[in-house]
Amino acid sequence: MKNLATQNSRTALKRSALLVVPALTLAALAGCSSSDTGAASTAAGEWSYTDATGTTVTLDHTPERIASYTDYAVGLMSYGIDPVAIFGRFDVASDTRFDEFDITDTAVVGNSYGEIDLEALAEAAPDLIVTGIYPTDREGTLDTEGAYYGVADVEQQEQLEKIAPVVAIEVGGRGLDVIESLTALAEDLGADASTVAAAKAEFDAAAADLTAAGEESDVEVTQMYADADGIYVVKPQDEPETQLYSELGVTFTDLNPDTDYYWDIYSWENAAQMMTGDVLLVNNEGFQEADLLAQPTFASHPALAAGQVHDGWVGAALDYHSQAAHMEELATILRDSKKLG
Amino acid sequence: MRQGYAYTVHPDTIQRSATQAPRRPSPLTRAVVIVVLALVTLLATVLSLLLGSNLIDVGAVIGALLDPANDPGAVVWGSRVPRTVLGLMVGFCLGIAGAVMQGQTRNPLADPGIFGVSAGASLAVVIGVYVLGTSSVITTLLLALAGALVASVVVFGVAALGRGLTSPVPLAIAGTAVTALLVAITSYLVLSDETTLAAYRIWVVGSLSGRTLDGAGAAALFALAGLVFAVANVRSLNSLALGTELAHGLGENLVRARIVGLLAITLLTASAVAITGPIGFIGLTAPHIARRFVGGDHQWLLPASGLIGAALLLLCDVIGRMIGGNAEVPVGVVLAVVGGIAFIVIVRRGKVATL
Repeated sequence: MKNLATQNSRTALKRSALLVVPALTLAALAGCSSSDTGAASTAAGEWSYTDATGTTVTLDHTPERIASYTDYAVGLMSYGIDPVAIFGRFDVASDTRFDEFDITDTAVVGNSYGEIDLEALAEAAPDLIVTGIYPTDREGTLDTEGAYYGVADVEQQEQLEKIAPVVAIEVGGRGLDVIESLTALAEDLGADASTVAAAKAEFDAAAADLTAAGEESDVEVTQMYADADGIYVVKPQDEPETQLYSELGVTFTDLNPDTDYYWDIYSWENAAQMMTGDVLLVNNEGFQEADLLAQPTFASHPALAAGQVHDGWVGAALDYHSQAAHMEELATILRDSKKLG
Repeated sequence: MRQGYAYTVHPDTIQRSATQAPRRPSPLTRAVVIVVLALVTLLATVLSLLLGSNLIDVGAVIGALLDPANDPGAVVWGSRVPRTVLGLMVGFCLGIAGAVMQGQTRNPLADPGIFGVSAGASLAVVIGVYVLGTSSVITTLLLALAGALVASVVVFGVAALGRGLTSPVPLAIAGTAVTALLVAITSYLVLSDETTLAAYRIWVVGSLSGRTLDGAGAAALFALAGLVFAVANVRSLNSLALGTELAHGLGENLVRARIVGLLAITLLTASAVAITGPIGFIGLTAPHIARRFVGGDHQWLLPASGLIGAALLLLCDVIGRMIGGNAEVPVGVVLAVVGGIAFIVIVRRGKVATL
């Protein structure tokens, strides 16, 4: 799941909490189509890549020094493309997604959303900066006028572009399309074919296992975030990761697929009575199991009462390897949970 | 109450010219206004119990109120009752704190945030999560109180070291400076630690939803203490309305008056903030509305501001519950709209700069 606070955390803090709900809504982004991001190495060592927004970057050599936002850096590293600089939405040193990689030689140029140390970034001398873009609606509309994801604003993006060309991966629509576009970029950047093939094999095996787990189990999974104002249920078709898992046969709570984009929101008065689901995957930000139990109106929800609650759930990076690990985790949860009611 | 002064300048006279109020309300009018405001608050309380995003019917609500065992989904006792009680308490505290604040600073745009109280409370809560990893109501309450007290003492000290406490200006400037510093530290902690950010984000949303009555008793005790200080400050506030020099001439002990007022503001705001997170506009708007009905005498202004604060907060919360479909709009957002409009009206009336 796209982290809720990310895009708007700074603004939300600055403007006080009054805007958090609109911010959450705005932060809730995904969509349908995945534009076919083409890339082609042309003759004479020239490198050319067209990203999701239609921006074409042409360089006289294949970029070797990559700077990337953490979400995509994790994916690139899984394919053996090690960035020279990374920036994230929180302290990169505490980002567990990098645990299996060595980032000691990587310059960390941003530890909170939109706070990018431009001097340090320039010093790392990247050839290319990789970040993402989320669609603003179910139709997959991309706001190409605004700043990309991971970037504070248009001004900052202009400064990034002075350092190196910036490309964006579209994170919306079909999960598989997103994975494929990130993989395609990694391949264009020189990822080893055998590394990609091995990751793909790992992914295929985990996907088959998740499908099997989905068939064995008839539990309904609710991917949610909660805070004082109520419960936000992710609409599975609007988030690439849940879309992928749905496609593989996992049943997600999806009571109002055609209404508002990305979230189905319930107040605490309504949550227990209206929200279905046998297993709750609780986003790592916001309320956790203990907080949910403390809500008198929600304590009676069957999944909560049965203890089928998983705290600290976060979306994995959209590459084959990260997704394989995440799907194994979900398959285990499916097998360990029972249908309620 | 001012008959004891050697030369009686009735504060209302000054207040009337200052606020250009059309007429000075008679004691009877004021008493009637207070009764009407109490009835409005009662009405808001009833509405707050009866209405919510879960559209259970009136009979079911009353049935559940009479027999807690007969409360399907715990909607009445698990949601409506706590948020109504908390709303009354927080609105009352913030309304009075705002009135004391505006009286102390003689600044009609002052709200309880101006002495660094909210910022101090926020920072303490963040430090609590950062260091202790806890965000229970009681801890939050104690931390918010401690932070608010420390912040106001610092503001007070800085102002006292400078040009002194007789003029409200150094206090306001020190408050603004200290607030900026506290907000910067808060931002630093929040942005450098994800867990802290998550906890802070939940707390910083000013909302009556999802809060329980745990810790409300403790908060009420502190609020009560704040109320006592506010009442003790009434006479000084009326003198201060005449200007600090005249107040001094009337025998007012300015330092004592400031300390008592500061304690009232700090305790009232911190109790409110600890329960619901920072809620804006009540402290700013309620005293303005109250002043229109009862004039500038703080003996009447404080209770009227408290009642208006409570009614306003509950009514805005009810509006927020009813316009969100299955969800709700947080009261802070509704208040920003309603309070914003009220604020524009106040400014348009052109009486802001003359308190």
